[in-house]
Amino acid sequence: MKTLFDFPGGVHPPQHKQQSNPGKLMDLPLPQRLLIPLSQHIGAPAKPLVKVGDQVYKGQLIALATGAISANVHATSSGLVSAIASFPVAHASGLDAMCIELETDGQDTWHPDITTANPGQLDEQEIRQRVLAAGIVGMGGAGFSSAAKLATDTPIHTLLVNGVECEPYITADDTVMQIYSHEIILGTKLALGLLKQSTCKLVIEDNKPQAIAAMLQASAGHDDIEVIVIPTKYPSGGEKQLIQNVTGQQVPRGKIPANLGILCQNVATMKAIYDAVYLGQPSIERIITVTGDGVKQAGNYRLRIGTCADYVLQQCQAEQPNSQVIIGGPMMGFQLPNTHVPLIKTSNCLLVPSAKALSDASPAMACIRCGQCEIACPAQLLPQQLYWLAKSDAFDKIEQYNLMDCIECGACAYVCPSQIPLVQHYRYAKGMLRQKATEARQAELSKQRFEAREQRLLDEVTAKEERRKTRAAAAAAAQAAKQKTPAHDTAHQATLANNSATNEVSHKDLKTAAAIARTKLKKANKAYEDAKAADHEDTDKLQTMVHDLQQRSEQTAQALAEFESQVQVDPEAEKQAQITWAKANAQVRKLNKSAPDSSTPDDEKAAHKEALQVAQKNLEQAQAKLDHIKNSSKEAQS
Amino acid sequence: MDIIIFAIVSLTLMALLFGGILGYAAKRLKVEGDPIVDQINALLPQTQCGQCGHPGCRPYAEAIAQQADPINLCPPGGETTIKALADLLDVEVLSLDAEAGVDSVPKIAYIREDECIGCTKCIQACPVDAILGAAKLMHTVIVNECTGCDLCVEPCPVDCIDMLPIPITSQTWHWQKPQQLIATDRQLEQEIVGDPSL
Repeated sequence: MKTLFDFPGGVHPPQHKQQSNPGKLMDLPLPQRLLIPLSQHIGAPAKPLVKVGDQVYKGQLIALATGAISANVHATSSGLVSAIASFPVAHASGLDAMCIELETDGQDTWHPDITTANPGQLDEQEIRQRVLAAGIVGMGGAGFSSAAKLATDTPIHTLLVNGVECEPYITADDTVMQIYSHEIILGTKLALGLLKQSTCKLVIEDNKPQAIAAMLQASAGHDDIEVIVIPTKYPSGGEKQLIQNVTGQQVPRGKIPANLGILCQNVATMKAIYDAVYLGQPSIERIITVTGDGVKQAGNYRLRIGTCADYVLQQCQAEQPNSQVIIGGPMMGFQLPNTHVPLIKTSNCLLVPSAKALSDASPAMACIRCGQCEIACPAQLLPQQLYWLAKSDAFDKIEQYNLMDCIECGACAYVCPSQIPLVQHYRYAKGMLRQKATEARQAELSKQRFEAREQRLLDEVTAKEERRKTRAAAAAAAQAAKQKTPAHDTAHQATLANNSATNEVSHKDLKTAAAIARTKLKKANKAYEDAKAADHEDTDKLQTMVHDLQQRSEQTAQALAEFESQVQVDPEAEKQAQITWAKANAQVRKLNKSAPDSSTPDDEKAAHKEALQVAQKNLEQAQAKLDHIKNSSKEAQS
Repeated sequence: MDIIIFAIVSLTLMALLFGGILGYAAKRLKVEGDPIVDQINALLPQTQCGQCGHPGCRPYAEAIAQQADPINLCPPGGETTIKALADLLDVEVLSLDAEAGVDSVPKIAYIREDECIGCTKCIQACPVDAILGAAKLMHTVIVNECTGCDLCVEPCPVDCIDMLPIPITSQTWHWQKPQQLIATDRQLEQEIVGDPSL
């Protein structure tokens, strides 16, 4: 046999293992009601896939894992979904959690998709998929997803299969090893296949001779599986203690066994892997020890996940079905606040102490600083110091004393002569430390958000100021531009006006101006004459005025003349042409009037005719000339 | 005589040398900002509730650092924060100022969403941007971000915001402090309530 290492501390409590008949597996009738919690594992609760009223079959997936370390949940028998709601669960807090309630139909029909397989024909990915789909979690009590554990990136050289079962009273793993030794070996081979390059050490405490014999027999011929027997000492089944015991290595603080290349799995988990891969059956049942002086039919029972504790106690004829019941072992388990709770994948024991044992529990006495706890502590902590610090709420200090490395095994409380509930103090302090850590994280987050908000508000104000400045600058520039533009504009407009005035000065306007000037001159002249006649004083003024007006009149007349000469309209020529035309017209009329009658001699007739012709010709010429002058005048004006 | 002169000269030189080093170090290693404000701020609960009379935790930390305000104005932090501040600043532990408020169970805001009219007033009031919503649309509180500061309750025109204690879940639950029973207590207890097993 290989040299074994040891781990510090540890205790040897009475075993009480024979009480539950290890190796004998019993079945209980299928309960009418199964209550399957959505969270039977570490990690996020699974998400329900069924509705109330749905018919489900044994092994059917009813809730899907929602994260890397979450796990699927399956119907553990056939029947109807009667509720999806919060029910009390097996938690020390007594709080409710979401569960799927099944009314079983008694048929226990398997879901048609459940098929067996030959792992030799499955590739690695398919095996992993089967383990993942089966919702297998660590059945020793931790509830960590096995698929996630086996999918580790770190190279693993040793797979430790834990069949130690160091807690008193519990014989569930012992029974699994005795009855399913072959399945455990096959499951272990599968796990080794997934981990590659690793060998297995199957560790069993020396108080289980039948299990050791069974496992040795089953593992014969498998070179990569070694059965190791370790001396009985509590808590040698703890993961870190087991590693230290077998390999001599300590798992560093804050690290996990995988950092050492070691992976631990419970024997029952190995059997579940076998079920999942070979049989296609998900994790729907487990073996649980019902024991204690308070039950008549103590033993190991194969139970569907979701069977309620009170049903089990009733079937096992517990003395007082509603008395205090401990779930888990006597060292690390906790008292169920209420027995109407379902048993889950990680429940390995129901311990019902006798009423006498309960009343014998003694009160705590003062710590006498005997140091027994320190000797017993497997994690080499200072339980006494931790106790004082927890009692006085000195959480900062207690953290420095490495409280978080405490595995809550209860060895210190077991040896305490004053019967101080040390572990309860540690659990309280741990809870407070976790709460403080959460609060600190929350505070940091709030601080970041607050600062981000302040920054955002400041940025907004700055941006607003910036925009205001930009706008002001733009406005000032616009103002400056305006002051410059008007000067230019007026000049331009004036030019335009001048131009248009020049253009629009018409013949008519000039005439009017000339006429007005003449009229004004006449009036002024008359006024001057009158004033002169009346010998008025203002005559000089009037004279100047008349002079001015005369000049003005001359100017306008000149302008008119210039304009008319420009547009080639000669009023004299027009007048002349009109006169000529009028004379010719009159001649023609006169001649027409004195038209000769029949009495008139022929020569006179001819003379008259000739004169008329000449006169008409003159008139035509005059007409043409007048028309020409008028047309040219019109053209000029338009 | 020589030895005295030698001593004086060497000590003077050393004094100058070390003075120079210290002077250089003081400039080179000058700490920007006020580290004590950061330390105080780290102890405050960061609810940003303003119950101390400052617009947030950091301004209060600055006020404490300048000794303008006492250390007992923070109701969300309660006795724990006061004790921690007293330790840090080496001052006496004071009891919580009643005017600032009372130390109560941590709460978070919930908007009764049916009643919300979408006015965005609470969003503007929230110091940590924990309220989500838009004008004329329903608002809601991001529960994980809410510090329970109460500041959104006052501006709500339809009073649809409730401050509710944070529910305990199996994730947040932890063991309570065990009652310290000693032998004489047990006797006393039996006299008072009677032993159920008898």
